[in-house]
Amino acid sequence: MSVLGERVDPEASSNWTTGLRTRLQRTVPPGQILPDRQPVYVASWIYVFGVLSLAAFLVVLGSGGWLALGGVTWWHTSSVGHFVNSLHLWSVELFFAFMVIHLWGKFWMAAWRGKRALTWITGAVAFLASIGTAFTGYLSQSNFDSQWISTQAKDGLNAVGIGAWFNVLNTGQMLLWHVVLLPLAVGVLAVLHVVLVRRHGVVPPIDADVEEPT
Amino acid sequence: MSATSVLADGAGSYVHWGVVQISVTNLIIIGVMLVVFVLAIVLPFPGNRRQRESEDQR
Repeated sequence: MSVLGERVDPEASSNWTTGLRTRLQRTVPPGQILPDRQPVYVASWIYVFGVLSLAAFLVVLGSGGWLALGGVTWWHTSSVGHFVNSLHLWSVELFFAFMVIHLWGKFWMAAWRGKRALTWITGAVAFLASIGTAFTGYLSQSNFDSQWISTQAKDGLNAVGIGAWFNVLNTGQMLLWHVVLLPLAVGVLAVLHVVLVRRHGVVPPIDADVEEPT
Repeated sequence: MSATSVLADGAGSYVHWGVVQISVTNLIIIGVMLVVFVLAIVLPFPGNRRQRESEDQR
């Protein structure tokens, strides 16, 4: 709306808000952000593992936030701390198991078909970022295990020449990477991935008789 | 007994296959994931039959 009350043409407007709104509206087709109906081929267990990965990721974030509230001495000494620590570990284990099965399913479906290359790429990069997050999690345990892993990791990372960029022996740096930088990267990539899935729709089976953009 | 072998005690069983070395635990987990993957493809999804029947009745 302009100050006079008439509607502004979004195409003609240079207003940032209008431009962003138009962009968001164009990103996902109307009604596809949270659809309540899906094509019949989606009624298969193999299509469940993407959302299972997301559910596990939310438990990882929740339990990780809880650990951050209590702190190191709490998760090492109290029974509730031990429980939340285990909850964080096992939700990560399930997150990776679900994500890998999702990856296998999508690989054998050739899920990059129908202009879905960016969906595939964001998923693959999110997987790599998740591995980095998990590895820095090992370094953040603050026990002999994390000390052992960090000394082994620094040799491997220095051998491939990336030890100059970060120091796995620096517990403070690795803890901050684990609780801020890498979860943020995984979260942003996961949101982008889901938005792209909603934009292009779920990939049909290879032999499905559906019209797809080439 | 050397110090290294003492440290390695209780570190779990490993399977050696050429250059590949993997713990039995990880091997079992990968095996279970493969089984879940196959089951996810093979097992019918609940509600799918009901939906098809209701669409056939229309």
